[in-house]
Parts: sequence; structure tokens; C-alpha cells
Amino acid sequence: MSPKRSSTKRAKQAVRTVPDRPRPGDLLINDPILKTISRAAFALVLLFALLLLWRGHNAPGGGFIAGLMTVCALILHRIANGDSALRVDPVKFIPWGLALSFITGLVPYLLGRPFLKSDYGYLTTALTGEFEWATALLFDLGVYLVVVGAGLALAYALIEVKPTELVEGDG
Amino acid sequence: MTLAVLFPLLMAAVCGLLARPLGRRSGYLAALGFVPALLLAVPLAGNSVEAGGTPLAQVTNWVPELGLNFAFRGDGFSLLFAVLIGVIGALASLYSVAYLSPHERFGRFYPYLLLFGGSMLGLVLSDNLIALFGFWEMTSVTSFLLIGLWHTRSEARDGAIKAFLVSALGGLGLLAAVALLSVAGGSTLLSELDLEAVRASPLFVPALLLTLLAALTKSAQLPFHLWLPTAMEAPTPVSAFLHSATMVKAGVVLVAKFGLIFGSSPLWSGIIVPLGVATMFWGSWRALKQTDLKALLAFSTVSQLGLLMALYGLADAEGRFAATTHLLNHAAFKAALFFVVGIIDHETGTRETFRLSGLRRKLPLTFVVAGLATLSMAGLPPLGGFISKELFYEAMLHAGPGFIAVAVIGSALTLAYCARLIRIFFGDFRAPEDDGGRLLKSEIHEAGPGLLLPPALLAGAALLFGVLPASAEWLARRAGTALGFAGYEGHLELWHGVTPALLLTLLTWGLAALLVWQTARVYFLQVHLEFPVSSNRIYRGLLIGLETLASRLIAGTQGLALPDQLRITLAAAGLMGGYAVWRAPQVFQPLEGVPLSTLPIAVLLVAGALGVLLSRNRLTAVVLTGLTGFGSAVAFLAMRAPDLALTQLLIEAVTVILFLLVFRSLPGFRSLPRGRTRQIIDVGLAGAAGIGTTLLILASLRFLSPPISPYYLENAYKGGGGKNVVNVLLVDFRGWDTLGEVMVVAMVALAVGSLVRLGRRGEARSENDTAPTLPDLLDLQERRP
Repeated sequence: MSPKRSSTKRAKQAVRTVPDRPRPGDLLINDPILKTISRAAFALVLLFALLLLWRGHNAPGGGFIAGLMTVCALILHRIANGDSALRVDPVKFIPWGLALSFITGLVPYLLGRPFLKSDYGYLTTALTGEFEWATALLFDLGVYLVVVGAGLALAYALIEVKPTELVEGDG
Repeated sequence: MTLAVLFPLLMAAVCGLLARPLGRRSGYLAALGFVPALLLAVPLAGNSVEAGGTPLAQVTNWVPELGLNFAFRGDGFSLLFAVLIGVIGALASLYSVAYLSPHERFGRFYPYLLLFGGSMLGLVLSDNLIALFGFWEMTSVTSFLLIGLWHTRSEARDGAIKAFLVSALGGLGLLAAVALLSVAGGSTLLSELDLEAVRASPLFVPALLLTLLAALTKSAQLPFHLWLPTAMEAPTPVSAFLHSATMVKAGVVLVAKFGLIFGSSPLWSGIIVPLGVATMFWGSWRALKQTDLKALLAFSTVSQLGLLMALYGLADAEGRFAATTHLLNHAAFKAALFFVVGIIDHETGTRETFRLSGLRRKLPLTFVVAGLATLSMAGLPPLGGFISKELFYEAMLHAGPGFIAVAVIGSALTLAYCARLIRIFFGDFRAPEDDGGRLLKSEIHEAGPGLLLPPALLAGAALLFGVLPASAEWLARRAGTALGFAGYEGHLELWHGVTPALLLTLLTWGLAALLVWQTARVYFLQVHLEFPVSSNRIYRGLLIGLETLASRLIAGTQGLALPDQLRITLAAAGLMGGYAVWRAPQVFQPLEGVPLSTLPIAVLLVAGALGVLLSRNRLTAVVLTGLTGFGSAVAFLAMRAPDLALTQLLIEAVTVILFLLVFRSLPGFRSLPRGRTRQIIDVGLAGAAGIGTTLLILASLRFLSPPISPYYLENAYKGGGGKNVVNVLLVDFRGWDTLGEVMVVAMVALAVGSLVRLGRRGEARSENDTAPTLPDLLDLQERRP
């Protein structure tokens, strides 16, 4: 009887609104070490993501993976600096990405070939040597945009949630 | 023809975009959208249609592998109907420019109207059964939007929902019927169905019944007539369009076209003709009771549709000829009358018959138009309606004495309600007042040309059809070949001697005179004669029943505590695994091809999973869950699937981050009070689920034969030009799947976003957004006449 009562009592003490204590997510914001590292990491990860997107057709990579990686980079930036690296609402990427993917599919259909039939060819320029272009890249770019938009929208929405109560054992 | 169908849809987008700068003038654009449909009159007038030459046909591929294409076929009947839609659609658009208030939301009205007109055109012109079903459903959806245009009024919402529920029910019937037909007939093209095979097939009767369900619901025949009167909540120009040329006639089109397939069966006419005649009687009986002009017209439409249905349902040349003639007449006078009622409403501020009288003095032109249209509706000479009524009697004479009696009574009632309609123009003029005795409009004057011209044109057509029957016959004959009455000898004439039909007409007039003479008594009888069963009551009962069932179902499945739900899921997984073992014991054979190097990874995974169980802190638990995910990524790497591993790795990273963000705002772990037995059961369930899932995966590995991967390995570079097979698979071979999955991702993001926002107090709550509750809707129906 008595331990039970004491435990509820303790829980009651623990449950309280916390305006004064920093939230767990806040702990890392403006942390100098993280901030410095994140700057380099952000650029590197972003570059690598674009590389993955670019080479996806022939080597491991692709729009989905690149999108996820970009999301990671942006979340890192957000956590380290406390603000978004993008000037636009990430949700806006979603319709553009969908439209791009859909239109890449629609174009071959309108030209009398199956919907989403991809085309490719080779181009040789002095700068790059022989290089392959594929309409699939555009489709992948659409996928990339949707994934970035969706992932960031999720993450930002959750970051902005303000915890109203904290209980012992957290953070 | 493809243009005729596409153009309104295209113009809908244009109208939607230009609605703001153009305002009500976008109505002219909308009228323009119907021009291609009007141009179909050119092939219609050509001789080939009547002589039975090859009809126009246009095919646009959609999914040819499934027999799903846009095949438009312009035979005489389809073209005739398409032109009808075009004429009335254009007139309705022009009329509404003058009719609607400048503050109307034109960004919705005209696009909806055009979408609706376009889908109706697609419906009548489509030769492909599946596309026909698609257009059919589109008319349901767009009419829902149109009826509910003034969605702030609960009557409009109620009417729209009712119309949608009833016609969607029929739509499901049509889908099934179309599937059965294409299976039995060996083609998805209506014109290429093997009729012999269909008639011999055991699917014939189900297909027939399902088609009837669709036609009867859409055309508001007797058990399903309830939605049409409430659909009058739509703006008046829409009602004119809906009641005269489109929506409600869709069922008639279906009966006319499919009558060629099913007409040979006695079941077909055995169901349609009695129902049609009964609907005609019931509609005119109810119409006589109405005091709202628009409601009167709505019930009159129910009645006239019954007549049309009965005629087409006879499935002989005579009936089809009569029906096609009446189709034209009805479209002309019903649209004209709706326009007239719109004018009266617009100029006087009311539609109640008892508030209006002597309008002839104030609105002389409207009176002429209304008079012509009403005479035609009443079936009086020398108008088109008279001729088609004569034909109707002729046809019913062959159907049987019972039908004649109901038809005569129905027609007499029709005459009586026409008298009630036209009476508002006679007598002394009294300015209409509201219930408090105040004037509704200070001054009443004739409507402008924008309002008067459309009904005047249509009333002129009604007059032309009567005075010059050859014109109507010429038009009706256009449909002859398509509907199988090309060889029919009958002609349209005002006077064709003393025939039984003429005697019936005289009898009708006598009866009608009696009804008009005894108006007060008839009205008394109508008010006090309540039928015990009304379809509105059944509809309401069904709605409540559905609600109760749904809430019980939700309470029974979703209301459980989270652990209980988990237990059910886990038990299901275990059972499935058990089933797999029971069906295929050979999965217990030792597996070859799994490298030994995966063993340490497996140990890592198990350790991570066990760690989650033992952790007493959310953070630890999340990270340990992540460990199992990362472990899987390593396993993928060991199996030489770098793409998969990379995806898994990143997904895991993002998931862990998101989890942490969520858990930040959740309370800490609380251990649930559990007894020893509960604990044992849970451990057992978890173990069973784990083993079961494993077995299931092993079983599916074994039985997926032959594997499809060699095909992709071979064709990825040839077909898609990429060396990364996985990527080529995703963007090319299974591009559709990827597109669908990306859409899912987008939806999830939007859903979670709005959920999170909902959680914040004070946001995303607006008074205007609240939907009507069920009790509200039911209450409304209670008060409906």
C-alpha cells in the first residue's frame, strides 16, 4: 500500500511544466563544437547526396537515398544552428517533386510510348568525355524533391512541438 | 469527338484560373466550352447517320493491355444527345451570367459546370464500357459538387450527400455490370460485344439486374427517386441542366443503349415498364402537392423520367421512337421551365405558388415563354408534348390495360400540376409578401434579355416540334439506326385521325378538368393521405444503421488498449507462420546459400532487440532499436546489396532522429501492472510472432519460383540504360510503383504535419469548417415535404 502511494506522489512531483529548464532538443542548439563541425559536415553530406543522385543510374544511389541524406544534412543544420537552412517551406517541395515525376512520365505517353518509359543516350563533350544522359534522372529528381520535402516537413513539425510536461527519466 | 469531351474539361481549368479577373463574365468562356459539342451537329445532320453508315469513331489509348481506352463512337443517338447537352449547357452558362449574383464564387461554379458537362458528354459518346463507367462516376461527383455549391446551407449539403449516396450505389452496380458484360461478351467495347454470347451466358441476368440498378438510381426511378427533389438545392441554371439534358437522363441513356443488349429478355421490360409507369404516376401525384415551383418541376422531372423509362424499357421500335421524340420535347420544355422559374424567383423573390398571382401583367414575355413550355409539358396541342404523349399512349396500348389506366391517371395529374404552375400568371396581380406581410420586392419588372433569351429559344423549339412535327421527326430519326428503329414506319403528326390514343387523350382531359375543378378537395386528400412507407424514411434508417454499425465496429476494434491491439497483431503474425509451416513442412530443410559471415550480425540484431526489452529509458530504447536497423543494413551489405544497405542505413538514421524528436515530448516509461500469467502469455505471443514471421519469410523465399531477378539483370542495361539494376527497376520498369510510393510519402508528411498542428491548442479550428452532424441532417429530412 505504502510504496504505491509514495510512487504516485513522486510522479506527481515530477510532472510539472517546465518553462525554465532547457528542453532536450535545445541542449545542442548553439553548441560551439557541433556548430563548427556541422558547417563542414553539412556541405560534405549535401555534396555527397547530390553525387548519389547523379550517379544513381549506374552505381548505388538514387533519388530516394539522396533525398534522405539531404534530409539528414538539413536536420543537422537545424539542430546545430536553431534555424532552417532553407528559405522556403519544405512542404512546397512535395507538389513540385510530384509534378516533375509525373510529367517525366507523361511526356513519353504523349509521344505515343508507354507511360513512364525512360529514354537515354550518350553525349560527348570536351569537358566530361562520354557521358550518359537519361530521362530517369529527372524522374529521380522528382523523387528526391518529394523525399526531401516530406522528410523535412516531418522533422520540422516534430522539432517545433513544445513538450508541455516532463517526467522523471526523460532527458 | 475527343475534342468535344476534352474541351469542356480544359475550359474548366481556364475558367477556374480566370474566374477572379473575369467574374461572372467567365460564363461566356464556359459557354464557349460547349461549342465543340455543338459542332457535333454537323456530322449528325449528315446522311450517313440515318442511312446507317459507319459511325464516327475515335480511339485514344489509355491502358490498351486491359482493354481500357477512350473510345468515342458517334452514332446517331450519341451525337443527338451530345448536341442536346451542348445546347442546354451553353444556354445554362449564358443564362447564369445574368442570373447569379456578382458575388458568387465563379471560380467554382463554372469549372464544376464544365466538368459536369464534359463528363456527361463522355458518358454518352463513350464506346468503351470501363471509360463509360468512369464518366458515369464523374457525373456523380461533379453533380455532388454542383448541388452542394452553396455549401453553407445545410439543405444544399444534405441534398448533395443524398444525391451522391444514391447515385454512387448505382455506380457500383454499373461497375459490376460492365465487368460482367465485358467478360461475357469478350470485349470492352460496347459496339463489339458478342451479343449472342452475352445472351447465352449465365452472367446475363446478373448483368441485367445490375445495369438496371444503375439506371434506376441515376434516373430517380421509384424506390430511388428521393434524391432528385432535394437536388433542387443547386442553383437554378444547374437544375435546368441537370433535369433536362444531363445527370438524370444518364439512366435513360443507359436503358436506351443497353436495351439493345438486354431488350430480348422479358425481365428487362418486365421490370422497367411497371416501375417507369409507377414512377410517372407517383411523380405527378407528388408534383401536384408542391407549392414551391422548383419542387413542382423536380417532381415533374421524376414523373417524366418514368415515362421515358417505360418507353425505352419496352425495347421495341415503336417505344424507342416515341421515347426519343419525347426526350427532345422534354429537354426543351423542362429546361425552359426551370429558366422561367429562375426568372420568377429572380424578379419576385419567391417561388411559392400561393404568394404569386397575375404575373402575366408584370412579366408578359415570361408569360408567353412559360405558357408555351407548360402547354408542351401538359401534352396539349399544338405543341411537341402533345405528339409525344399520343405516341406514349399508342405504346402503352400494347403493354396492357393496367398500364393504360396508370398512364392516363398520371397524365391527368400532369395536366393538373401544369394548371397549378400556369395559374400564377392569371388573376389579379398581387405583389408577393413574406410571412410578416412585408413586400418581397418593391418593384417587379420584366427580366433582361440575358435571362429571357435562353428559355425563349427552348420554348420556340417546343413550339416548332409541335407545329412542324417533321422537324422533331427528322431529329428523332437520326437516332434510328443506333437504337434499332430505322425501319419503323410511324410518323409524327398532330392529327392522325380518331384513334384509341386520341380517345385516351380526351379521357385524360376530362379527368384533368375534374382535378382542376376540385383542386381544394384534391389538395386536402393529398395532405391527409400519408403513405406508411417512404423511401426517405428508409434512407434515414439505413444512414442511422450504418452509423451505428460503424461506431460499434470502431469501438470493438480501435477502442482496445494499445497492448491488446499489439497482442492481436502479434498473434496474427504467429498464426500465419504456423499456417505456412502446416502447408509446407519442407521449409525445415537446411537452408543453403546463407553465408556464415551473417552469424555475428544476427547475434548483434538479437542483442539489440533484447536490449530494447531491458532498457528503462526511452532514449536507450530508441538507440537500441536503431541498432537492429543498422544491423540489418550490415546484413544487406554482407549479402552484397549496397543500394539496399545504403537506404536502410539512411532510413534508420532519419527514423532514430524522428523518434527522438517525438519522444522528447512524451512522458517517461511507466511499467504496466502485469500478472505472472499475463507476462507468460506475452512472451509466448512475442516468440510465436517472431518465429512465425521468420517461417513465413522462409516459406515465401522457397515458393517464389521462378525468380524474376535474372530478367531484370539481363534487361536493365538494354532497356533502361543503367548499370544499377535496382535504380533502373525503380525509375523505369516499376516507375508507376515508385510514383505511387512517393505519393504515399507525400501524404504521410502532410498528414503528420496536420496532426502535429492539430495538437497545438487554438489552431486549425474554424467555425466554418464544421461539417453537419448526422442528427442535423436527419432533422432536416424530417421537415422536408
